[in-house]
Amino acid sequence: MGTTKPRPSGRASVAKVQSLPDKTFIIDNGAYTIKAGYAPDSSPPDDESKALSACSDIPNAIVKTRGNKIYVGSQLNTHVTDWNEMVFRRPVEKGYIVNWEAQKEIWEHSFFDETTVRSKDLRITDPEDTTLLLTEAPNALPALQKNADEIVMEEWGFGGYLRCVGPSLNAWNDVQSLFGDPIVQEANSAVPPRECLLVVDSGYSHTTVTPVYKGQPLQRAIRRLDLGGKHLTNYLKEIVSVRQYNMVEETYIMNEVKEAVCFVSNNFAGDMEQTWKGSRKRGLPELSEGVVVDYVLPDPNAGKKGFMRPHDPLLNAKKRKGALSGASTEALSEDALVLGNERFAVPEILFTPGDIGMKQAGIPDIIMQSLSVLPTGLHPAFLANVLVVGGNALLPGFVERLETELRQLASAECAVRVRSPQDPIRSTWLGASRFATNKDDLQKVAITRQEYQEHGSSWASRKFTGAL
Amino acid sequence: MYHVELLPSTKTHATPGWTYVPDRGFDPAKAAITPAIGRKRGIRDPGRADLTSRQSNAIVRHLAELDRENHRETQVPIPVKQKDASGRGTRGKVTSNVRRILQSQKTFRNYLDDEEASLAQQATTQAQQTTSHRPSVNKITKPTTSSSRRSSTPLTATTTAATTASKPDTSRQRKHPSIAPTSSRASTVTTLAETTEAEPETQPQAPAPDKENPTEPTNTTDLIKSEHDNDPLLKSYIPSAPSERIMQALVAEPPLTYNASRAGPPIMRKSPRYFCCMCGYWGKIRCKNCHLRTCGLDCYKVHEDSRCGAFF
Repeated sequence: MGTTKPRPSGRASVAKVQSLPDKTFIIDNGAYTIKAGYAPDSSPPDDESKALSACSDIPNAIVKTRGNKIYVGSQLNTHVTDWNEMVFRRPVEKGYIVNWEAQKEIWEHSFFDETTVRSKDLRITDPEDTTLLLTEAPNALPALQKNADEIVMEEWGFGGYLRCVGPSLNAWNDVQSLFGDPIVQEANSAVPPRECLLVVDSGYSHTTVTPVYKGQPLQRAIRRLDLGGKHLTNYLKEIVSVRQYNMVEETYIMNEVKEAVCFVSNNFAGDMEQTWKGSRKRGLPELSEGVVVDYVLPDPNAGKKGFMRPHDPLLNAKKRKGALSGASTEALSEDALVLGNERFAVPEILFTPGDIGMKQAGIPDIIMQSLSVLPTGLHPAFLANVLVVGGNALLPGFVERLETELRQLASAECAVRVRSPQDPIRSTWLGASRFATNKDDLQKVAITRQEYQEHGSSWASRKFTGAL
Repeated sequence: MYHVELLPSTKTHATPGWTYVPDRGFDPAKAAITPAIGRKRGIRDPGRADLTSRQSNAIVRHLAELDRENHRETQVPIPVKQKDASGRGTRGKVTSNVRRILQSQKTFRNYLDDEEASLAQQATTQAQQTTSHRPSVNKITKPTTSSSRRSSTPLTATTTAATTASKPDTSRQRKHPSIAPTSSRASTVTTLAETTEAEPETQPQAPAPDKENPTEPTNTTDLIKSEHDNDPLLKSYIPSAPSERIMQALVAEPPLTYNASRAGPPIMRKSPRYFCCMCGYWGKIRCKNCHLRTCGLDCYKVHEDSRCGAFF
């Protein structure tokens, strides 16, 4: 299409018909990682992994190593070898972009600056010919929304712009096959949003419950639990520091430990008994083998990464013996954390925040709180379509536990189904990319650069809340 | 004798001395973060307010600690680089808005305080004008409550449907076939949602779903049929989906504020669980000095020797 017309140039078309530029760049700006990439031009590819290949994860942080070197965004994955005592600066606080100074630096570094952009697919060459789709967490503060609009339109000057609530975009995903429902409306090419979907987005800063009706969030029922992956990491860090080594400075390493070992227990009391140290002492048969593990800490000097292995109760004795008989220094120098009930007691706070003294309800309870303000006629449809996205959905056992507890809370007439997509972290991005291929729908909600210049930022925020 | 108690608060900036704080009554959103405070009157029902202010302060502090990004508060500066590398020259000059935003060092807490203040101001001005508070909510809740009532009294509803079938309002809710809860999967739920949302006003639509149900057992053939299937006592009633008009109103609602969307305390209060502060097992015994829990004498001895702060 571009070859037939000599330089169709978004600027000219914008000036006349006020239509959006052809290219759509999607940024799902999470607190921990940015999920970004161009939306496909035509209908989305059927294969999910192929569609996701356009999306990259970029750490949303500026870090300082203990050598006082500073790295931005994707440099974390390539340049950093020593993760000890890493200090993070994150532009996103509580799920919302607060510090635009840092956020701009990361965006420039990842998307605009030729010299640092990782691949051609991530580069935004001219913003005027690009529509930006930016996600935000629900219930954002209006002041922060205004800041985002002004920066996007006045600093970079995107040709088109849409800011919308992130979880609701999951409705455009292929949820039918995930839930095993027959796929309806295959005939027309445009992807319709799921009619009723309850999105549980458990991310880095918080966990939100968003009922989505035909792609629109039901605002009155959105609820938030102020616990997310960050709190789990910090809690684990704190426990380990009290019980074993002092790890208070090692946020990054403890995050790796959490991702490797933590799981959501489906039998909390039973797992607790298994990890009781008393049963070992009294010579009872060792039950703990399944639950207790060792995590060998990374060794930056030897260039080794940390890893998990089954617990070896005789490790210390072996080490002592090895030291006497002159074993390899490698085995002697390694440090391992023994993780027992920490493995499941830490993610447990998402389901029982009372364990750390918090007075908020757990996730299953919050889902019921959210539904309680909606008409009862909607409850069956939402309870049968619960989708868990966000990084915490990767915790083993999360979905099963949520389904079990929700089943107990929900009324017996309702079917309860909880599912998590293949890639829960990039699921929102994927939904956004499928939504963005439908240009007509995008045109209805997005604004163009010219409209922004005419009406200003307060008009833009009214437009995005749907008041216009 | 005086007794000075430091009440837990979510404010980050400490006001020197003391201050009057407006008490706006019970706020479930706030109650979730600031735990209940022990008072004399709480002695009789210890389950309600079982925390001393010191303990709740400790919890608030702990939660703030879990919320931190780094252990120490350190500044990570933006790396400096040469001017033209950022490609700034092509994009013209910086507007005043952009400059203001980029230079702002406000934290989320600052923004939230700002919003709370402006909302409080709005509320007071609204109260002075004596305008009704959010009338749209009332408009929407009314039909929903009535629909839920209809579904909970199915016997009367079916008789009225038989007698006054001409009314479009009653024809909307139709009898749901008696399917065992195992078979009432989302397929039936979604058909219910679709058919009722399609066009509730049109009369010819009403018999169609009833006709559809006899054909449905093709995929639920394993159900055992009996003559009691149509017994009104055994029927399971699923409330009908709300009409398109209600859904439009729901979708069009403005978002809640940040504090209003915070989840409240649990609906069903379970007794709190305590864990050993040393090993993480159940916290069966409580230290008489500092009220921390330990699981047994082994852990208690370690706690007493090395960690007992004895501050409480």
